Amino acid sequence: MTEASTTQEPIPIGSMVPLSGTSANDGREFRNGLTLAVDEINAEGGILGRPLRPVFIDSGRQTAEEVVRAARILIREHRVHAIINGYNIGPQNSEYEPIADAGVIYIHHNTLLQHHDTVASDPDRYFGCFMGDPAEYWYGQGFIKFLSWLSESGQWKPHNRRIAILSGPKPYSIVIANAMASASSEFGWQLPFPPRIIRTMVNDWRPIIEEVRRHDPAVLAVTQFHAGDLAKFHLQFMEAPMSCLVYLQYGALHRTFSNIVGDKGRGAIVGTVIGLPRDEMGRHFAQTYKAKFGPHTTPEIGCQPYSSMHHYAIAASVAGGTGGPGAFAINRRIAKVLLNLPYRSVAGTVRYHPKWQAAVPYPDATRDPSLGLPHLFYQLREPEDPPALIAPEPFADAAFELPPWL
Amino acid sequence: MEQPGEEQAGPQHLAHDAEAFMGLAHGAALWSPDGTLLTCNPAFARLFNCFAGSIPAGIGQRQFLDLVEQSGLLVQSSQAGGEPADAGRLDILSGRTMVFSDGTVCRIVGSPSRGGGTVTLCLDATDATRNARALERARDSAVTADQTKSRFLRAANHDLRQPLASLKILIYSCIASTNEAERSQALHAMDVSVAIMEDLLGALLNIGQLDAGKVEANVTTFQLASVLERLRVQYDHQAREKGLDLRILPSKAAVKSDRVLLERVLGNFLGNALRYTEVGRVLVGCRRRGHLLRIGVYDTGCGIPKEFHEAIFDEFFRIAEQQDYRKHSLGLGLNIAKRLAHVLGHPILVDSRPGMGSLFAIDVPIGNVWHSTVGVQEINERIGGEFAGLACLVLEDDVHLRNALTTLLERWGIEVLTLEVFDDIAARVAGLAGRPDIIITDYRLRGGVQGTDAVNQINDVLELPCPAVVVTADTSPDLIASIRGQGFPVLIKPVSPSGLRVVMHNLLFEPELVPELS
Repeated sequence: MTEASTTQEPIPIGSMVPLSGTSANDGREFRNGLTLAVDEINAEGGILGRPLRPVFIDSGRQTAEEVVRAARILIREHRVHAIINGYNIGPQNSEYEPIADAGVIYIHHNTLLQHHDTVASDPDRYFGCFMGDPAEYWYGQGFIKFLSWLSESGQWKPHNRRIAILSGPKPYSIVIANAMASASSEFGWQLPFPPRIIRTMVNDWRPIIEEVRRHDPAVLAVTQFHAGDLAKFHLQFMEAPMSCLVYLQYGALHRTFSNIVGDKGRGAIVGTVIGLPRDEMGRHFAQTYKAKFGPHTTPEIGCQPYSSMHHYAIAASVAGGTGGPGAFAINRRIAKVLLNLPYRSVAGTVRYHPKWQAAVPYPDATRDPSLGLPHLFYQLREPEDPPALIAPEPFADAAFELPPWL
Repeated sequence: MEQPGEEQAGPQHLAHDAEAFMGLAHGAALWSPDGTLLTCNPAFARLFNCFAGSIPAGIGQRQFLDLVEQSGLLVQSSQAGGEPADAGRLDILSGRTMVFSDGTVCRIVGSPSRGGGTVTLCLDATDATRNARALERARDSAVTADQTKSRFLRAANHDLRQPLASLKILIYSCIASTNEAERSQALHAMDVSVAIMEDLLGALLNIGQLDAGKVEANVTTFQLASVLERLRVQYDHQAREKGLDLRILPSKAAVKSDRVLLERVLGNFLGNALRYTEVGRVLVGCRRRGHLLRIGVYDTGCGIPKEFHEAIFDEFFRIAEQQDYRKHSLGLGLNIAKRLAHVLGHPILVDSRPGMGSLFAIDVPIGNVWHSTVGVQEINERIGGEFAGLACLVLEDDVHLRNALTTLLERWGIEVLTLEVFDDIAARVAGLAGRPDIIITDYRLRGGVQGTDAVNQINDVLELPCPAVVVTADTSPDLIASIRGQGFPVLIKPVSPSGLRVVMHNLLFEPELVPELS
């Protein structure tokens, strides 16, 4: 049986999450998010009367081998109708192949420009592959606009227009660094040196910091994203701070970062292209999430598979049901609905770009906040305080303040 | 004498007539011989619904018209051929054209009734009037366009003939000449003439599009810096050739305009400035003025007397004493700029005095930097991928595989270099267009050359080990182990893009993840 059915047999939904290894914290949040969404959907009768049954496979270190293996197990052994998860850093789209062969829906949050390329290379084959958040490319362009906005609105007066960029070795970091570099000149910023790709993460950032200091930049952007690496960097930067804004990629939002850095983190800028706006929907979700999974959990991460699970359930209901491996017809209908039906999730509006099959970011790629996932910019405050959400409008709820070292 | 038909006008027929009268789609009213209203049909009552209740019976036409006009129901009421003297006339409605406030146009037709009175019919002429007006406008615009075109063609004909005549003479000279220097000089002059004709035809195309209303503004918010940079690239060489100092001051502003049309306006200003400035400087700079950004092109040229400040924007206008053939100005640039600025809704201005240089400027709305779009519309790996800007040397004999691989790599933003002959590696590598960052080689190359050997030789030439991946269709475990033993990762054909991507990424950025290298 592959086509839509009216039986009460549960629909298996796969999820490839890092439940062990360095990203296990994120993996647990992804599992929480999917679990909460499945519980809510099942409480309302499931998809056209059929309940959902989540199946989690540990993607461990998130290498191509581990993620592909997880996808194969979900498809062959569990006959899942869809795979919905957070992000896996290492597979580089290798997992698309078994998923495309099976013709099931796959929604992930890998935040990779590679997704655009893979889908565009053969839209018919990869019809079911969706990225529930915008590509990391937008971090770069959006950050440059953010800097220009800070400067032109008079909130910050840079002493020059130089941006120093340090990148980690993963494609995610490199693409963000490249995107920052390519957008810089158009907005009147200059790079004193091309993005520096640090191939092996170091414990001692001081030599690189000193090298950057010689260029006296107005902005220092670090696109490495592991909270631990960023914390080491930031503590060493704060030993003798430069007169520049500091941007830390995503991971500095994690509790691990503030636990290590403490109040020295105050003033650093962090961004995410998928997070929780502090509006009514976002706050309500956070409360529900913490009530269920504990006060020290992170709904900002769990919201990713949570939102995509709900979007999938709506799309499948509109399409007339779900289908497992080989059920191309029904899954193509679901994919079509996903593309045509924007969904206002707790993280903002997920509207898939018709060619990229990735969520469109606001304000980076649309001027309409109701038609894009907000690219949120935070400024860290005290370790026990939530970071201030300073841009973009209409989501911001706090004002930028000059970092204490400036 | 009674008419034949009137014999049948019995009570039954009268009832039929009354029913037909009341059911008419057009407004109709019956007036008595002394000009007072006897009755009207519902369509007439609906048309003149400005009375508190129904239209008062017995009302005279004069009073009726006054009340209707006072109510504001009509925006115009006129007699065809002008207002006749109404004195003594009882039927003053017939022959009128009434324009109602809702845009309806009615022509009032009157005819005598049997009893000596008048029947008034209100005929809806709304569509006919609109069509007539549209026709009138179309005719006027066609006449204007025709006149413009004739004037334009006369002037263009004149301007086109001059370089054409020169070209004929130069071709003749060139054919006749046996002297290489003379021929070269003539060819250069021919080049100039052709450039003039190109300019003229380009301008004609622009004007043609503007005349046809085909130029539409596609307004977006973008960084002005991108337009200024393109102008710098276009005009820098021209300025340097003329010994002028062209300075384009950087701008960080986001503006709301049409990127292409704005560039054409500024290009015309800049082209003019360079043409009419013999010594000194041409400067492009911006200044905020409230919510507008004034983009100005300043020059230290000959300047323009105030009396010509308007006329310089006319087609083919040139100030006689500033013209010489070398400048080959067509007098269209500023006209095009003015018309493009009109399409954009941006004001333009000129400030100039003879001997004091000129300023031509355009005021553009300042945009929101968050809405600013960058030049590229399509976001893909070619512009922002992790491999963008890197060079890959591909060694693959099979032309189909090589082409497929090249397409894939180029889609990832990689510049592809190839070597097809391996006899003299040093010379071949020296002939490459760039230095490779990574090598992808087939194991078995033409002439019995092994890919691993070729890579080793290339690395000797480069004097730096270039990371390399070997691809092979041979799945023999011994062979694969041997290649890996030499420190090269191996991929088995057909190579999957994702597999290749992982290996390339690791080789380039995370070599510790490549087992063969450890």
